[in-house]
Amino acid sequence: MDIRKIAVLGSGRLGRGIAETAASSGFDVLLFSQGAGTHYAPSQIEKSLDKKLAKWGITESEKRVILSKISYTSDLKELANVDLVVEATVDHFYTKQELLRTADHLCKPNVVFITTLTTLSISELARGISRPESLVGLHFIPPVPETPVVELSRGFDTSDEAVAVATRFAKALKKEIVEIAESPGLVNTRALLTLVNEAAYMIDEGVGDAIAVEKIIKQGWGLTQGPLEMADRIGLDNVLHLMNQLREELGERFTPCPLIRRYVRSNRLGVKTGRGFFTYARDNIFETPIEQED
Amino acid sequence: MKVFVLNCGSSSVKYKLFDMTDESVLADGKVERIGQENAVVTHQSSGKEKVTKTLPILEHTVAIQEVLNLIVDKEHGCIKDVSEINAVGHRVVHGGESFLDSVLITDNVKTTLRSLTDLAPLHNPANIAGIIAAEKLMPNIPQIAVFDTAFHSTMPKHAYLYAIPHSLYLRHKVRRYGFHGTSHKYISGRVAALMQKDISELKIVSCHLGNGASITAIKGGQSIDTSMGFTPLEGLMMGTRSGDIDPGAIFYIMDKEKLPVANINSMLNKHSGLYGIAGVSDMRDIERGVEEGDAMARTAYDIFEYRIRKYIGAYVASMDGVDAIAFTAGIGENTPSLRSQICRNLSYLGVEIDEEANKIRGKETEISTPNSKVKVFVIPTDEEVVIARDTAEIAKMV
Repeated sequence: MDIRKIAVLGSGRLGRGIAETAASSGFDVLLFSQGAGTHYAPSQIEKSLDKKLAKWGITESEKRVILSKISYTSDLKELANVDLVVEATVDHFYTKQELLRTADHLCKPNVVFITTLTTLSISELARGISRPESLVGLHFIPPVPETPVVELSRGFDTSDEAVAVATRFAKALKKEIVEIAESPGLVNTRALLTLVNEAAYMIDEGVGDAIAVEKIIKQGWGLTQGPLEMADRIGLDNVLHLMNQLREELGERFTPCPLIRRYVRSNRLGVKTGRGFFTYARDNIFETPIEQED
Repeated sequence: MKVFVLNCGSSSVKYKLFDMTDESVLADGKVERIGQENAVVTHQSSGKEKVTKTLPILEHTVAIQEVLNLIVDKEHGCIKDVSEINAVGHRVVHGGESFLDSVLITDNVKTTLRSLTDLAPLHNPANIAGIIAAEKLMPNIPQIAVFDTAFHSTMPKHAYLYAIPHSLYLRHKVRRYGFHGTSHKYISGRVAALMQKDISELKIVSCHLGNGASITAIKGGQSIDTSMGFTPLEGLMMGTRSGDIDPGAIFYIMDKEKLPVANINSMLNKHSGLYGIAGVSDMRDIERGVEEGDAMARTAYDIFEYRIRKYIGAYVASMDGVDAIAFTAGIGENTPSLRSQICRNLSYLGVEIDEEANKIRGKETEISTPNSKVKVFVIPTDEEVVIARDTAEIAKMV
């Protein structure tokens, strides 16, 4: 089946990134969101494109075409017309399962479901839908438009046909697909959280302040973003949640550093509240950290 | 023999159907805004009324199907059945070193074409999409690829090699390829015909000035140097492309603006040239701006003109002389003031332009005076007929 129209469920940073990238690659995108995201997503996607335009990454007409390819809805009934569903909500099992169950009822019979989960089990999630063979794990790594690689994983029942569709979709988005076994945190999230946690410990122990720790890791390894900035962009509440899930699966080595807990309790959640390990000029995505706090 | 010529862009398809017995055009037209709900198809069969349709066309296969429907349409068409088409010729921008001449398209050819996408990212993917669509719709008709780069395969090594480590040429085939080959080939043939001389005796500078622009030195009918290089980005200032720029400036800009490679590529290809200087990429808007006293339009116009003149001078030196200069394509055919400004500044070559004759737009005309030591022509290009000729020749052998 030709994939022309896709649905992205979830309009957070990941969902918006997937929607923008898919629209840039010529897909018609239906971005499903509820609550604040409904109003927030269109302006955030436009801001992201404006940033690219200002840096000559796209042209004004390309921006218009991309925007015209994204429509927004909070009505899941519209899923009846899509060729592929990408579930991109935060890693809460019951939220994801409920959404996928609804999509399962509404979508055409041969639609493939992609889930972006990292710390949860695809096989377990697939148990809640009538077509478990159609569920594929495709972990897009934020910032989605810029990151060239995705992690692909299968559940116990995932079919080769569904993997082929997911692979074709990811390739159309110009992503390199690396298939790995279904496992908590996959590779990227597991490695990143380990690094974020250890960096937080180093700050907490006074080895160095956030700027020093970030600079040494970032510049020493030639990264475009350091782990602390990445954590601020993911949201420290999400980081804490993911770490707790990984601790349940993988043991005490994923016990969150107390500094992360303290920051979350004091609403220092990163970019979205303007303060995390760093403070930010505005509470926008893609802002540069300008000063260190504490 | 009937040959269907396709020129597929990312959101457009231009086509012509030729009867090769006399190279007459049976039908021509274009599909624009492919990928949108309001795509526009413009079609005209010889001797019949022009048809324009607006309809949703999401991809090249649908666009070409729509065109074929019109070609066989009882009211607007010119043939009864698609099977009357004997061959399809595709314009393909980049043939790399793999294709030095036109070729029958096979699976291996398509694989090689895909591997060349990096060399012409704006064009080759659309050309390939057109080939795949045409194969699907006309499965038993030979499909032939005609390359923009092929005419320049005669360039000598000293013209096509860059002064960078030779290993890069050996490993990655980094070299000058040149583009607009079918146009320059057509122009040189017409110049020889108009001068009633054998092309082997002539030294011609062919100026293809469109939204993309290139100049070629043609000696004895062969391209010996051309301004576009490894990609269509090198050489003249263009509508949205920078043309020549110090590579050192690119590294400096990337560092200062913190730009990744994709952005600098987009900046040089889509945000530069006339658009980068004056904010508009169409020469007609630039001319209007000049008339209205817009300083940046004037600057853009002057850079554009100066760079053409600089290349003409360089190619006269390359060939040790010049017999004719020809202007073609959208800007070359339709901008008398530009031609006049260029030629006025070539007086040292003995170029004399007839300002009255130079008023011509889009019509084959000699615009130099009888005393001019160098003939100057305006020649509307016809890339399609060159593609049709190559296609017919190869199709005969299939």
